Amino acid sequence: MIQRRHFLRGLGGAVIALPFLETFAPKRALAAGYPPFAVFMRQANGVVQKTDEPEMFWPKNLGKLTKADLASQTDRAVSVLSDYADKLLVVRGVNFGFPGNGCGHSGGGNQCLTAAKVSDTPSGAGSLSMGESIDNRIARELQPAGVEPLTLYAGKMSGYIDEVLSYRGPKMLRAAERDPFVAYTKLFGAANIDAAALERLKAARSSVNDLVRGDMKALMSRTDLSKDDKNRLELHFQSIRDLETTMSCSLPDMRLAEMEAIQPKVGTSDNVQIVTKMQMDIIALAVSCGVVRAATLQIGDGNDSTEYTIDGKKQYSYHWISHRIQGDGDTGAPIDNAVEIHHGIDKIHGNLMKYLLDKLSSYTMGSGTLLDSGVVVWTNDLANKYHSYSNVPYVLAGGANGFLKTGQFIDAGDVTNNKMWNVVGSAVGCRNNGKNMDDFGDPSLSPGFIEAMMT
Amino acid sequence: MGVALGGGCVGSLGDAPGESSGTVGPVPKPDAQALETSRFPRLSHLQWENSVQDLLYLTQPSGISASFTGDPLGGVFDNNESSLLVTPGLWADFQLAAEELSVLATSDAAKVAKLMPANAPTEPTARAKAFLEHFGMRAYRRPLSPTELTAYLALFAKGKALVDGPDDFTKGVRLSLQAFLQSPHFIYRVEAGGADLPLSGFELATKLSYMLWNTMPDDALLTAASSGKLATPEGILTAAQRLLDDDRARVMVASFHHQLFQYDHYDDLNKDPVLFPNFTPALGADMKREAEMFVEEVVFKQDGGIREILTEPTTFVNKELAEIYGLQGTFGADFVKVSLDPKQRSGFLTRVGFLASNATKLEQHSIHRGVFINRRVICAKLPDPPNNVPPLPPAADYKTTRERVEKHTGVGTCGASCHGSLINPAGFAFEHYDALGQYKTEEHGNPINSSDTYPLDGKDVSYGDAVAFDDLLGESDQVHTCYAKHWLQYAYGRADQKADAPALADLAQESRKGARALILALTQTQAFRTRAPHQETP
Repeated sequence: MIQRRHFLRGLGGAVIALPFLETFAPKRALAAGYPPFAVFMRQANGVVQKTDEPEMFWPKNLGKLTKADLASQTDRAVSVLSDYADKLLVVRGVNFGFPGNGCGHSGGGNQCLTAAKVSDTPSGAGSLSMGESIDNRIARELQPAGVEPLTLYAGKMSGYIDEVLSYRGPKMLRAAERDPFVAYTKLFGAANIDAAALERLKAARSSVNDLVRGDMKALMSRTDLSKDDKNRLELHFQSIRDLETTMSCSLPDMRLAEMEAIQPKVGTSDNVQIVTKMQMDIIALAVSCGVVRAATLQIGDGNDSTEYTIDGKKQYSYHWISHRIQGDGDTGAPIDNAVEIHHGIDKIHGNLMKYLLDKLSSYTMGSGTLLDSGVVVWTNDLANKYHSYSNVPYVLAGGANGFLKTGQFIDAGDVTNNKMWNVVGSAVGCRNNGKNMDDFGDPSLSPGFIEAMMT
Repeated sequence: MGVALGGGCVGSLGDAPGESSGTVGPVPKPDAQALETSRFPRLSHLQWENSVQDLLYLTQPSGISASFTGDPLGGVFDNNESSLLVTPGLWADFQLAAEELSVLATSDAAKVAKLMPANAPTEPTARAKAFLEHFGMRAYRRPLSPTELTAYLALFAKGKALVDGPDDFTKGVRLSLQAFLQSPHFIYRVEAGGADLPLSGFELATKLSYMLWNTMPDDALLTAASSGKLATPEGILTAAQRLLDDDRARVMVASFHHQLFQYDHYDDLNKDPVLFPNFTPALGADMKREAEMFVEEVVFKQDGGIREILTEPTTFVNKELAEIYGLQGTFGADFVKVSLDPKQRSGFLTRVGFLASNATKLEQHSIHRGVFINRRVICAKLPDPPNNVPPLPPAADYKTTRERVEKHTGVGTCGASCHGSLINPAGFAFEHYDALGQYKTEEHGNPINSSDTYPLDGKDVSYGDAVAFDDLLGESDQVHTCYAKHWLQYAYGRADQKADAPALADLAQESRKGARALILALTQTQAFRTRAPHQETP
């Protein structure tokens, strides 16, 4: 490989860093009333909750959550978040609105953040969502034009079902970045540059952009283009941005060196938790610096095939464990202790969420922390081992500047997940005709909110 | 289980969801279906990397595309036009790459000279024009229009004020390079002609070189385009033959099989250290290397195709692989060509990479092997696993893996429609190969049964083991149609459509003559040479 020079780059090409870089400094004071943000962390394959198996996920009692009580419920996966009991909002009784189309995992992934229907074609493992995702809606409404929601991934890509979460619109799946070093460089990579050089760079880029826009316009002006081709060129044209400047932040060099070192092995089972934490560092930095208001982090592929290590032993593919059999289809020899192992994997995800909450809490803001300004959602694209779409897990943390009523476990009462995203979207600042957003997801779903979530 | 799997497996043999049928059923008339393809298929990241290397005369790939925003899955291959979009993230990647490359490719006078035409004038404006016409032809893969040339001349002139460089001319070159590399005419394989028109010579040159080399046309191909030599199928064939004889075609053929046969799955193998003390994770790379060398041998040295890929017992091993194959003799770190025991091994499906990556850490996975063969080799119609997976019956002791699988899924059970008739018979042929791909004659002290019956080409065929099954597959119409269908997807960079059915039937016949014959035939179809009608959007 040719040695690369360091050039200016930044988020969506629209933002570059000014020379005064800050280091990633926990306890850095931020202004109170920081713009709210949402982070969506997705686990695959459902959780161990009450079916023909015992309840091992939700807290024991509805109502107020306390640290001591939650910590004592060690047979429940949510207990690993007991340190944050007063900041949690645990919601059961939320369902996906539509059936899958030939593949439970894919259909769940399609609806997870979209509350939209699953495509007729393609179907099966290749099915797609028929609507935009909530992170896209937040970014579209609240981030500068051309700045995309942060879309990250940790772990394997098997080539069967890979990223599933973020949609620009119907059937427009957004690729996720699985390599923390690349993700970081794209967001924050920068070089020192003086003001005069910056002006020249702006002028050079805008001259080049003008020529390229001319080429694009000539192609787009044709009347004999198919709809797909029109959309293709339109997305490209809208992606061309002139240079803007902003402040930026950075991670310590040692952390970056770790990210660079792990690059060749970002997809292995052994590294999935390490990579998840690196991606979380990037998410925390990105929201603390105000460069994004919405981020997704998918852990594992569509039907997560990571071989997690539990009790010092590398286990079977998580997908196999989730179905309790040695196989990706509907048959295989039973796996011993599969329920316990799945529960252990649920706790691993809970602990990963805790890592992110710790990071966000390390930024103090007035009387609270950065976590208080935003909301982190730990969710799943399935409810349980049966590919069920009913009672999908939603564990939220952070109050979004007081919008969300935290410190409680509630039952939403068998509602569809568009209402969940209406609450979260509104908490972050999305509006519909000037009022809280109540119309997210497929129009056939009943609009509105899960009111018990809101203060 | 039976309810969920339903009738999807029985009867029509065809394709995975979202893909159209091959030779099965009546062949529609050519005008019965419209072929919808993009006018702006984007270069895949591999094609982009190769193109900038050739365009800028870099001595090695820049490696820049490794950090590009990835593309979502779009079927089996990485070049499906429907998944290849320029998003804000990728546009920023392209911009930064263009800026880096504009300096990299002009870092000394000799490099700048390479980008120039022979005998360029020295007067600055005339020299700039000569550069832009010459380089523009290669970047856009066609001559620049007068309007385009005017725009580039204006940009070139701005270079001296806006970018750094040793002299004004180099500065102009650098700024122009940034625009060339970001232009849609470089990023897309633009097909500008009207519907049902033959593609222009330059468009055909581009299509040929990206299909056969995954990169831009060379000077000879552009010359052939401008002199009208690609106007006939014969002219296209002559050009295609030259391209196919080049080493770049070998890389393309390797990439096709890498994706079709999922060599990436060899990267993260995990085997039980007690049962398989000779396993190390580094073996995955050896298995990949073996597969690559094997396919190159079959396609380019033996002029074979899918039949030989499935049946040829020649392979390449180093010391570690020789041990797994049970070969006698002295082997070292280098790979050497060997002949495997033809009673135990035939082609690709009896190679350790396929066998070990479709296995658990303890034992062979008959179902996964069967699903792979049905989907990737035969193109039998299997639905995805069912939406809901009911619990299994309690564990019981079975003598062999096969017995256990049959008990749950075989003929006479509720899983019979997919597993019993299609998946299990294909997988069971390989019961002699353990989780690492080693040949074994018994399992837990019990004899191994690798015989079965599979519905191939509309009739039930029986076989005693993998070698016999592979021989049957190698002669099967379904297998040749499947191979041709995958080649069509890769060569044309799109999903196959109903309108492709007549051409696919012909291509399946060409497949019997070998992969090279099939690839050349793909340059002779109407779909290759013309743009098909499509619905217009005012």
